[in-house]
Amino acid sequence: MKLAKMAPSLALLFSLSLIALQESAGAAEKNPQSVLVTIRSILAENKNDEFDAKLKGMEQQLKSLKYRSYRSLKDDSKSVPWQGTQTFDIPGGRTLTVVPQEFQDNRIALKVRLTQGDKPIVDTTVKIPNKGNFILGGPPHEGGTLVLSISAATQ
Amino acid sequence: MTNCENLRESIGRWLDGELSPSESAAVEAHVAACAECGEARRQLESLQRALTGVLVTDAAPIEFIPFWREVQRRINSKRAWYEDISEWAREFFTAPRVAWGVPVAIVLVLAVVSLDSYFPWMRFGGGRNNFASVESIDGHGRSVALLRENDSKTTVIWLYQNEEGENETGEDGSKSGPTF
Repeated sequence: MKLAKMAPSLALLFSLSLIALQESAGAAEKNPQSVLVTIRSILAENKNDEFDAKLKGMEQQLKSLKYRSYRSLKDDSKSVPWQGTQTFDIPGGRTLTVVPQEFQDNRIALKVRLTQGDKPIVDTTVKIPNKGNFILGGPPHEGGTLVLSISAATQ
Repeated sequence: MTNCENLRESIGRWLDGELSPSESAAVEAHVAACAECGEARRQLESLQRALTGVLVTDAAPIEFIPFWREVQRRINSKRAWYEDISEWAREFFTAPRVAWGVPVAIVLVLAVVSLDSYFPWMRFGGGRNNFASVESIDGHGRSVALLRENDSKTTVIWLYQNEEGENETGEDGSKSGPTF
């Protein structure tokens, strides 16, 4: 009986604790320490109709490029601190340099540079939704076309 | 407690006719024999007479027929809708229910607010822009296309071959672009 009378107060206390927990979790998410950058290198071709099973999660994104076949060449993930620089080796002797710049409105601003040897191919700054990606494609590779999926998630 | 004290408690009930015949006979016999209890009886009788007189005097001018008519009218009259709602609300929103309702409402609000965090793939923030936005691009002399694919909410930066060519396999540059 005593417990029944206290139940509403306990429930209210529990709810307030939840709010506090939610706030602290939110604060942690608003000030992430670093960014996990994942580069997925894909070869797009028109030779056959094969679709690499490893790319299943990206099927809808890749199909919009209208190539007939897609093959995963390499996956690479690295944790990068804010304003830190990280390089990724890309098939074909290329290098992708990534600099996470800021996190605002659940979006990660990434500065990306693709080079071949010392020669820059493209420089871009992109704001990606947290845990989202964008595609950088076009360089020729092994008779097909190289497609890079660049994704980022706060840590 | 003495016999007199016991009996005095019964004198009032005896005067009101609430005792059994045998109890009444016992009280009556005692009151007749005991001077103190006889005095107590007289005082009670006197009080009873006084109260009865007051009630009869005050109740006499009350007109009961119009009173009951008004009561009946109020019972039979149709109440306004807001009176029904007000009465329902008074009965429904009892203190314990309100006490439970507040934390339940808080938990529900938190759950709704947190859905995006726990199930980002469900995209609860329907109107939110899930495209990556490109702030700047420098193709270093190459043609660059920026495309947005609505179905998969994908942003694509596409590099076309320049005329000098950097084609590794000597492919025709025109083949390197997708047909969006």
